[in-house]
Amino acid sequence: MAIAVFFFFAALAIVGGVGVVTFHQPIRSVLSLVVVMLSLSVMFLLLSAQFVFAVQIIVYAGAVMVLFLFVIALLGPARELGRGRLRFQTSLSILFVLALFGLMYALIQGIQYRQPEHADLSFFGTVQSIAVGLFTTYLYPFELTSILLLVAAIGAIYLSRKRIDDL
Amino acid sequence: MSTLSIGGQQLDASWFLLLSAILFVLGAVGVLVRRNPLVILISIELMLNAANLALVTFSRQLQNIEGQLFALMSMTVAAAEAVVGLAILVDIFRARDVEDVDDLSELRG
Repeated sequence: MAIAVFFFFAALAIVGGVGVVTFHQPIRSVLSLVVVMLSLSVMFLLLSAQFVFAVQIIVYAGAVMVLFLFVIALLGPARELGRGRLRFQTSLSILFVLALFGLMYALIQGIQYRQPEHADLSFFGTVQSIAVGLFTTYLYPFELTSILLLVAAIGAIYLSRKRIDDL
Repeated sequence: MSTLSIGGQQLDASWFLLLSAILFVLGAVGVLVRRNPLVILISIELMLNAANLALVTFSRQLQNIEGQLFALMSMTVAAAEAVVGLAILVDIFRARDVEDVDDLSELRG
């Protein structure tokens, strides 16, 4: 069952990823990315990362993607028409990216896996275990993230304000 | 030992890593090939998601929660990046109609 679920959602994620790259209308790219994110959330569940699964659906598929949809609705449907100035770029970048994939494939085949540190999966990935890590060892980075979010919010407000000379 | 016992069945950790690599590569193609700035941002999100999958896979393989914590951090950074990137994009689109990121190659306002 787990293997069937893995392959179904892996195929769905890859189809969605191809859709992100190939659709001409940005709104279809965004909806394909939602498909990828939901498939990846199932992967997180398979890897017993329940909290990451929930955050993936709420924050990513929920908030971030709705933000993208809002911006597309604001800017109107912009299609990619014709071809750009850098035509050689397409084939060249696909070549380089295939080389990158070959490199990553070789790396994945050559990984020396270590033995697991603990063997208890009943506790692993729960909200409690996440919280223990987040509020003890990694309290400092966690607090710094809140500053990052504050800076991002202020930056977004500053960038999207009305200019004085526009009024 | 790369097999993970999930729901009574043995799944190989490298399958998850391979899926992560495929999605990362697709995102890289999107960033390099597409010319709409919005689609480039979407492709970056795809690459970040692929990296998250690799982090969570290693976290599960080592049974070490730190990989998941890092995945959560990277989600936060991705959200901040999306907010600021989209705000810049809206600002640019307000000033002029951009179809191609190459239209933005000059450094003047």
